[in-house]
Amino acid sequence: MPQPSLSPRQTLGTLLRSAAGPLERPVRFLGEVLLSAGAAMRGHWTFRREDLGRVLADCSARAVAIVLVVNLLVGAILAFVGAVQLAKFGAGIFVADLVAIAVAREMAAIITAVVIAGRTGAAFAAEIATMQANEEVDALEVLGLTAIDFLVLPRVGSLLLMMPLLYIFACVAGLLGGMIVAAAMLDLSATAYLQRTAESLTWTHLGLGIGKSVTFGALVGMVGCYYGLRAQRNAAGVGVATTGAVVTSIVGIIVLDAIFAVCANALDI
Amino acid sequence: MSLLAVDQLVMQFGTRLIQKDISLKVEKGCIFAVMGGSGCGKSTLLKHLVGLLPPAAGTVTYDGVDFWASDDAQRSALRSRFGMLFQSAALWSSMTVLENVCLPLARQTRLDAKQREAKAREVLEWVELGEFANFYPASLSGGMKKRAGLARAIAAEPPLLFLDEPSAGLDPISSRRLDDLILDIRHRTGAAVVFVSHELPSLFAIADDGIFLDADSKRPIAHGCPRELARQDVHPTVHAFLHREVPPPAVPAATEATP
Repeated sequence: MPQPSLSPRQTLGTLLRSAAGPLERPVRFLGEVLLSAGAAMRGHWTFRREDLGRVLADCSARAVAIVLVVNLLVGAILAFVGAVQLAKFGAGIFVADLVAIAVAREMAAIITAVVIAGRTGAAFAAEIATMQANEEVDALEVLGLTAIDFLVLPRVGSLLLMMPLLYIFACVAGLLGGMIVAAAMLDLSATAYLQRTAESLTWTHLGLGIGKSVTFGALVGMVGCYYGLRAQRNAAGVGVATTGAVVTSIVGIIVLDAIFAVCANALDI
Repeated sequence: MSLLAVDQLVMQFGTRLIQKDISLKVEKGCIFAVMGGSGCGKSTLLKHLVGLLPPAAGTVTYDGVDFWASDDAQRSALRSRFGMLFQSAALWSSMTVLENVCLPLARQTRLDAKQREAKAREVLEWVELGEFANFYPASLSGGMKKRAGLARAIAAEPPLLFLDEPSAGLDPISSRRLDDLILDIRHRTGAAVVFVSHELPSLFAIADDGIFLDADSKRPIAHGCPRELARQDVHPTVHAFLHREVPPPAVPAATEATP
């Protein structure tokens, strides 16, 4: 049977599709999420408010404690490393600059995103993969509800909303950790430390950190949901989906942070 | 015009043919059984009928409207004409039983929240789960989950129900109660039912019509009411299935080209 000839547009589409190869499904998923988000912003959302509230609570209030603890320790570690080196040059006070800039620009956003990837992203993947195995996603589709609208959107939206707040908590915890170590090792007063921190921190640092936290939140949410939805319908599939979501999220966070670093350098910010 | 009509449906995964030449009609109030051995494609057929899996060829029409040729809006409208009970019940685990039943009402009716809850409670009373309305699915037994899934499927009073092995895994008494419930639903709502089952007592008790899918020839080998098929001179595999006998050795079939 002769093959019908393709139009130039169809040929281009076919070429792009074959070139995209393994990226086709993630890119299609991203497109579907963006279309669903656009429709939701125009008021056509189908997910339940109760589900949004449950996910919001799970990735905010219930995540604060671990985010605070981990970032407090990271701030303390940064201060400890900085204090040892800076004290040799009599520049111990600058440990506040080091901690403030490192925490606000890099560590608070990265560490928080990694914690959320291991906690919330993994939970998204496991929950949705289990729903796949139990035919719960099929039951939604029979009702005319798509998994993207009903399951993915509230999860990604929750992380987009909550990650900046968690970032602020993480910054405070990191600075506090640095201050404790500086006080203990360098005999710096809290007032001097905070004054130095306020002088070194700028809105640019904080804006960059918030921008990263939003981006990382979107990444973690979408990766968790993507792995959950494409999981095999068995117990092993749930495990594979969870592992894949965490690994991909962490690698993705590092790659995105590198891109942020290059862009920030190019833009001189 | 039939409530549901399937014409020359072909089920295929990649190049692997599952079934072909499937044609059937379901009229209002009919209880239609999809029979066959394990792995012959019965549940896959239901997935083609409810829009979860596109068929390789053939048509599925509801009241004359071709489901797979319709656009998204038309499909959404067609979906409101049926409810489905999944083999695992597939209750949404993050919602209570009441919320599970309310969601189809929110999607497929214009009832407000209070009316939806009242209707959902009424349906749950019908399936004898009224006192379990605020329970989560994890707290229910297998039979209760099936009845809750059935309540969810019938809540919006669709004219057609799809039931995937409704009595699988249930004890004989629970299975019989579920059969009686299906007959009661047909009697009170006039809904047609398409159900997949291996359970001979259920097939003989409730089915008016049916189709038998054969895994060897990959096509239907019998049509009709299971009770009548059991009395007729039918294909040896159908006879063995309906009389719970070991079938005769399969005769190698001529090689079939996949479409």
